[in-house]
Amino acid sequence: MKGTNRKKMSGRLTFFLFTLIPVILYTFFYVVSVINGVRYSFTDWDGMAQKFNFIGLKNYQTLFKNPYFWNSLKTTVLYSIMLVIGVIVTSLILSISLNSLKAFKTLTKSIYFVPAMIGGVTIALIWDQLYYRVLPVIGKALGIGWLSNSLLMTGKTALPAVVFVQVWQAVAMPTVIFIAGLQQIPDEQYESAKIDGATAFQRFRYVTLPYLLPTVTVNLVLTIKQGFTSFDFPYALTGGGPVRATEVIGILIYNDAFKNMRFSLANAEACVLFVIVALFSLTQLKLTSKGGTD
Amino acid sequence: MKKAGKDERVWLVLRNIILLCGLILILFPLWLVLINSFKTLEEAGKNFFALPSRLNFDNYLELFANSNYWIFLRNSLKITVISITLILILVPSISYAIARNFNKKYYKTIYYYLLLGLFIPSQVVLLPVTKMMSKLNMLNHGGLILLYAAFSLTQGVFLFVNYIRGLPYEIEESAQIDGCSVFQTYVRIVLPLVKPMISTLLIMDVLWIWNDFMLPLLILNRTQEIWTLPLFQYNFKTEYSFNYTMAFTAYLLAMLPMLIIYCMGQKYIVKGLTAGSVKG
Repeated sequence: MKGTNRKKMSGRLTFFLFTLIPVILYTFFYVVSVINGVRYSFTDWDGMAQKFNFIGLKNYQTLFKNPYFWNSLKTTVLYSIMLVIGVIVTSLILSISLNSLKAFKTLTKSIYFVPAMIGGVTIALIWDQLYYRVLPVIGKALGIGWLSNSLLMTGKTALPAVVFVQVWQAVAMPTVIFIAGLQQIPDEQYESAKIDGATAFQRFRYVTLPYLLPTVTVNLVLTIKQGFTSFDFPYALTGGGPVRATEVIGILIYNDAFKNMRFSLANAEACVLFVIVALFSLTQLKLTSKGGTD
Repeated sequence: MKKAGKDERVWLVLRNIILLCGLILILFPLWLVLINSFKTLEEAGKNFFALPSRLNFDNYLELFANSNYWIFLRNSLKITVISITLILILVPSISYAIARNFNKKYYKTIYYYLLLGLFIPSQVVLLPVTKMMSKLNMLNHGGLILLYAAFSLTQGVFLFVNYIRGLPYEIEESAQIDGCSVFQTYVRIVLPLVKPMISTLLIMDVLWIWNDFMLPLLILNRTQEIWTLPLFQYNFKTEYSFNYTMAFTAYLLAMLPMLIIYCMGQKYIVKGLTAGSVKG
């Protein structure tokens, strides 16, 4: 009796010790940082000075009056919308195409997944060169005026051009996830639809799509978050330019914190992003859990 | 019936065109990087698209001689390997503790506490954590590794707890009746059972840490000797902006380790990553 009791105690202790280091690491580096970030957003700290004062909501007031902040919010939303449409539509088309492939299926699939292996910065830097050296050549050959300069250098085309590069990489994951979803659709469904004389489009609309819907949600969430917090691609491709045309909020925060010496203001900007992402995640959580019980 | 057949053919042709265009869009940029890495600037200037006149390894040799490529490669390797080891020790064990004690308040609380990270965009954490690391004198590899371990917990625990809770409890129970302690049960019974999730976590976090740019930019940008490969490449842009065939060589060398690993185990990598995202 005493032996089992001691064993139970030591078992409990083991479980507790399992949690100890991770919880300390997470609290010390993550949670404390989040709290500090929120705290700094109410101060006038430039990030360097020894002392700083609490100034209440002043940073937020400055922020909401700053047109650059609104511009970056608008850019971020636009960026995310383009990214989501680009990624979801492309990966949907690709997954259906790849899934129905008979010859060279494995090889083709592996090639389509290669971009997911390469770092965002590398991809961005490669495309920077391609925009500069390859596209203008093609533009000239075909007589397309707007291709004659690097797309990254003109205000109107820079944002779509940056998004395109991120789509180039971000499509790989959702495509594979969609394929996994497609493979769960029983073949009989297609067979019977075919016998009923359904066209290819009708089969997509009434057989494929309903089955894929849960997978669409997964991919949607993954991609939207990527869009809201994007940094690598615009930073390495344009640095936010030209004339702030690609200055997403991630870049605004970085520049304000480390280049413009407005550290506390940058923290306030990050907190606004925090609220947006949290609200979005909560809504999304509610929607999907609702969908789950139906 | 006949109409459906025609539909089918149109779709097949369309599909093949789409897939072909996609393949070109993926491979052509990488191809251009490869061929131009073997050219001199002059040769690339003459014709960017042509094959190199000969296999000229000058760019590679110069890069190895003049830049600290090997040091950056070693730094990236060191940081990735140590962080991953730490993560693979911490995440499964805490997840096991949580999953098997979910009825207890403490474990349930820390589970939701760790999941809070799902709602917080990285930017909120990155600025204050940089200041903190600088204050602690931890703007170095050790500091970066600890950050990776701390930041990996949210997603890792989320994946593992759900997975372990789906495993049958009976095997562990009988092991404990046979006299195994919790730790022995964990090592002998649970770890082998969660192998698929371990490979998922391994692949996800290796890709993240190896390719990460933001954290090294904030933590390691002081002195060149401690850079990782992504930092090296980014700074290459400013340093060698005129010599773009050299830059291509650098990009290629930075991609190469991951591409080699991918070629060796692409089946497992794709499978592992999908398992993680479908569960998440």
